[in-house]
Amino acid sequence: MSPRRTAKGGLIDRARTIRFTFDGENYVGHAGDSLASALLANGVSLMGRSFKYHRPRGVFSAGVEEPNALVTILREGVREPNIPATQIELHDGLRVESQNRFPSLAWDLGALNQLGGRLIGAGFYYKTFMGPVMGPLKGTRFWMMCERAIRRAAGLGRADYEPDPSRYERMNAFCDVLVVGGGIAGLMAAEAAANTGKQVVLAEQEPYTGGFARWSGEIIGGEPADTWAAAMTARLAKLDNVRLLTRTAVWGYYDSNTLAALERVNDHLARTPKGHARQRHWTIRADQVVLATGALERPIVFCGNDRPGIMLAGAVRRYVAEFGVLPGSKTVIFTNNDSAYETAAVIRRAGGHVAAIVDVRPQIGDEAAARATEAGVVALTGHAIVGTRGGKALSGAVVQAFDAATGSLSGEARPIDCDSIAVSGGWQPLIHLASQAGAKPVWRAEKQAFLPPEPTQRWVGAGAFLGTFGTRQALSSGRDAGLKSVGKRSSRAKLPETPATELDLTPAPVLEIRGKGKAFVDLQHDVTADDVRLAHREGFVSVEHLKRYTTLGMATDQGKTSNVPGLAIMADARGIAIPEAGTTRFRPPFSPVAIGALAAERYGELKPERFTPMHDWHSERGAEMTPAGLWHRPLAYANAGETVDQAYIRETAAVRRSVGIVDVSTLGKIAVKGPDAAGLLDRVYTNTFSTLKVGKARYGLMLREDGLAFDDGTTWRLGETDFLMTTTTANAGPVMQHLEYCLDVLWPDLRVHLTSVTDQWAGAAIAGPKARAVLERCVSGTGVDNGTLPFMGIVHGEIDGAPVMICRLSFSGELAYEVYCGAGHGLHVWEALIEAGEPFAMTPYGMEALGALRIEKGHVTGAEIDGRTTARDLYLDWMLSKKKPFIGSGLMDRPALIDKNRARLVGVVSLDGQRLGGGAHLVERGNRDEPGESIGHVTAYCYSPALEKYIGLALVKGGKTRHGTRAFQSDPLRKRFGQVEIVSHHFFDPNGERMHG
Amino acid sequence: MVERASPLGNDFRPGSYGDFANGADVAISEVPKAAIVEARAWPGKENALAGLVSSTCKLKLSALPNSGAANREGVCAFNIGPGRFLVSGAREALAGDIAQAVDEETGTVTDLSHGRTVLAIEGAKVEWVLAKLFALDFSNNAFPIHAGRATAHHDVFVQIQRRGEKRFELYVFRSFARAFAKSLRRAAQDVGYTIK
Repeated sequence: MSPRRTAKGGLIDRARTIRFTFDGENYVGHAGDSLASALLANGVSLMGRSFKYHRPRGVFSAGVEEPNALVTILREGVREPNIPATQIELHDGLRVESQNRFPSLAWDLGALNQLGGRLIGAGFYYKTFMGPVMGPLKGTRFWMMCERAIRRAAGLGRADYEPDPSRYERMNAFCDVLVVGGGIAGLMAAEAAANTGKQVVLAEQEPYTGGFARWSGEIIGGEPADTWAAAMTARLAKLDNVRLLTRTAVWGYYDSNTLAALERVNDHLARTPKGHARQRHWTIRADQVVLATGALERPIVFCGNDRPGIMLAGAVRRYVAEFGVLPGSKTVIFTNNDSAYETAAVIRRAGGHVAAIVDVRPQIGDEAAARATEAGVVALTGHAIVGTRGGKALSGAVVQAFDAATGSLSGEARPIDCDSIAVSGGWQPLIHLASQAGAKPVWRAEKQAFLPPEPTQRWVGAGAFLGTFGTRQALSSGRDAGLKSVGKRSSRAKLPETPATELDLTPAPVLEIRGKGKAFVDLQHDVTADDVRLAHREGFVSVEHLKRYTTLGMATDQGKTSNVPGLAIMADARGIAIPEAGTTRFRPPFSPVAIGALAAERYGELKPERFTPMHDWHSERGAEMTPAGLWHRPLAYANAGETVDQAYIRETAAVRRSVGIVDVSTLGKIAVKGPDAAGLLDRVYTNTFSTLKVGKARYGLMLREDGLAFDDGTTWRLGETDFLMTTTTANAGPVMQHLEYCLDVLWPDLRVHLTSVTDQWAGAAIAGPKARAVLERCVSGTGVDNGTLPFMGIVHGEIDGAPVMICRLSFSGELAYEVYCGAGHGLHVWEALIEAGEPFAMTPYGMEALGALRIEKGHVTGAEIDGRTTARDLYLDWMLSKKKPFIGSGLMDRPALIDKNRARLVGVVSLDGQRLGGGAHLVERGNRDEPGESIGHVTAYCYSPALEKYIGLALVKGGKTRHGTRAFQSDPLRKRFGQVEIVSHHFFDPNGERMHG
Repeated sequence: MVERASPLGNDFRPGSYGDFANGADVAISEVPKAAIVEARAWPGKENALAGLVSSTCKLKLSALPNSGAANREGVCAFNIGPGRFLVSGAREALAGDIAQAVDEETGTVTDLSHGRTVLAIEGAKVEWVLAKLFALDFSNNAFPIHAGRATAHHDVFVQIQRRGEKRFELYVFRSFARAFAKSLRRAAQDVGYTIK
């Protein structure tokens, strides 16, 4: 039998034993246990070390608010740090480590930090490490030296460097009513809304619905509250219009009633079933929301309030009632309200021993006194705990007479032996979501709590969320909220009967007992009451400054137990009331969310892939594929033993010698249709398209509105009002957006429709002296001779039964054709072309050869149209129409854009046989170490098989005027420096005889 | 007639996948559509275009947002934007018929028969699977039979038509089809799926 397990009671399945490890030690628990309850049951009270001082800490709560007992789960090969032990459902094989300790939890060297005392108070690193001058170590340099040690000494768990293999999902949900919280009020609200036929989602962060009712021992409707809750849940589960989401924490409330939730789908299992998600992230769009999120208990701040064994009174009650665990053998209750008296009674009923009830109030009501009597003690009213004893475990409390009105202590302090203190500073409604929804919480002095603001979005509150505590109120407000959320009035129908309780949960306005020693406000970040007062003395009095200066309320618990006491202490220091001190607006997430859950299916490359119809053919032929935007394109088809360089040089030479084929399906293609299509093209291109004849194509250049070059490509006139525009692969999207902007904003009167048809057409470019011969072997239904298909002409025919459209155009400087067919026929036509090319040893070529061919020919592409160049810089002046305005024409003649010294397009030839480098600077001084000013840069380079040299295109100041001169490429990144000659960018066949042949 | 190749690749093979131990809850298939066109009206001509498409295809198509229609021959159409309809069918000549019917004063017709791939997903858990991919309400009330939506998943445009109580057809750009099918299959793993 576990040392702290009660003989009976609780909701655990005592027949099912579960084995788990904590820091390598083997333990057993039961089904239904949390890790925290199982460790407590095994007598383990030391569960962690604090953030800064490495003080020993035990579990402080029983729920999501836990600040102390953060652990690292070792699961499926991955470490997941900072998980509250209270939130971990025990399962066989669970492996957990404590964190922020070295070498062990019991003996932690970091505990030496406690000797630092006041030296490491709030903001110590700002003052100590970023300011003083100590020899050469001044300011940030000193900080940088110390930072590593400080970060190592202070912290939470350690994340893993390994990729997380877990599967996460995102899910979208729409509903009429989202009920957040599955306690009594939430269940009532869900049922009331669901009974009207509305679509209802109920989200509960715990594994079970019912909340407090599961373990309170109360009676609802004549039956035990847990039976009532289970029956209610079963009824809801049967309804088609209700979705119950347990283990689902709603963590964010955004605009338009959009809420974010995290479902821990399979975290309670040792292994996630294959194909299933570990966690699922929900985006829930709700017409109405019912916030039935309940309330959290607050502590009272006193000296030594962080020793293992001190926890919230409600948590103690829950451990006893839900898990059958007595957190201590002798418990002292410390409270400012009646709720902790029930805890005392519950402890006694479970066979435990209550050593004392210490109450700051001068007197208590009959109901509370009766509970004290049941617990076997007389309440020490008008007293407070002023200190504690113990080391790694609590051994006693020190109490003294206390005046709640003045906060003063009197009389002798006296010790009480105990190993557990159950503390209650009252209850704070969980208003985080309401605050996130857009308004500041409202302080209600009579309840000593922040209450929800007036709704700024479509939500209704219910239960303890409203600051009304008690089962009867939960039943009533829950039903009302459910009805209100669907536009119905409150019902007069009888509610389930439940006995009234006279316990008074209104707390006395005491949240701190001042004394000597460390009194922790924020247990997770080791922020003490003195730190808050230090912030006040140093001028950080605003609640936002307080938070940032002391880190109060930060970290994984987001100050769920510390915000109100922290504010109370600051308000006291300033001599103002709590509402005047203000409160921060709560922000998402309410509870921690794994980054993986937010990313969900967006992992790995973080982008979808695009494939051409011939992709598999390329892969099967051993092509090395390279990404081009989202597309995958062949880089080169290397033969066995060949490098990519050798392959592209071979491919380029084959095109010049005979014929080659390249997949150009990725080029952007836009159908431009309508009576004003030609007019639109005249406006967006620098040259004229309205004069283009049907069945002909024309090379076009677009400028941006600022006069700089934007994109180039050919546009084919397929009919009077029907054009097919092609763009570069990279600019397909931007060009489409640009054209849509023109039509939507600039010229909405133009009757033109644009449709992306990139995917409609597969494209193959056949280039080389034998290109026409290849087509002659396979094309039917049309001639491809020079008369029928002249340069820039278009014909329609068939290849092996598939309709094709062929345009004679060239970016390689060779006789070349682009063959387009329906994408579904792409592979069929490609293979027919390959077969037709066999007598000519037609060679498939990739991006590298494509680049080499265009560089030899001096054609520009994205490397030169780089957003900084003009048409004139690229010697495309001839394309600038003087007869019509076009986008960019108004600004292209600005003085800076026509300056003679602008960088303009040239060719460069390596004179020393060295490879050139894209981006390499060109300089005039031949000194590698002091190359002097750059006169330009290389935009693209290749080895030219035609010239048998490394050549490149470059943008150089003065452009043509430098032809015949020499310069040096300076490429320190690639450790290259060498002489080049600046030449015309038309390296190969400058008169175009091969292309027009 | 040359058969069209599927863009989905060898991985898209018939069989059962995912967690199908208790039966597969959805089925995924590629729908062969010989004709897919986008018909688009000039402003003010939306109803006229819907009428022309309706008479040509024997449909009851309206110009209302998200509306759609289908006939017994499998011709279906749905609204994918203001004055824009995606029309498809099993008969290749359909594209030409619509292009012929829509005059220049009413709008334009663009053939996308090769440019879009259609995936069907059907079965008991179809809404569950699709809700992982799209921020759309797939309930019958919000998304009735024949209605359509134009949306996107992970940067991939997807146009969706409900073709039955538990059946949706998803139109994606052909070049993205393989990547999208992978996402769809991954989303269906927990409920188990078959490829037909």
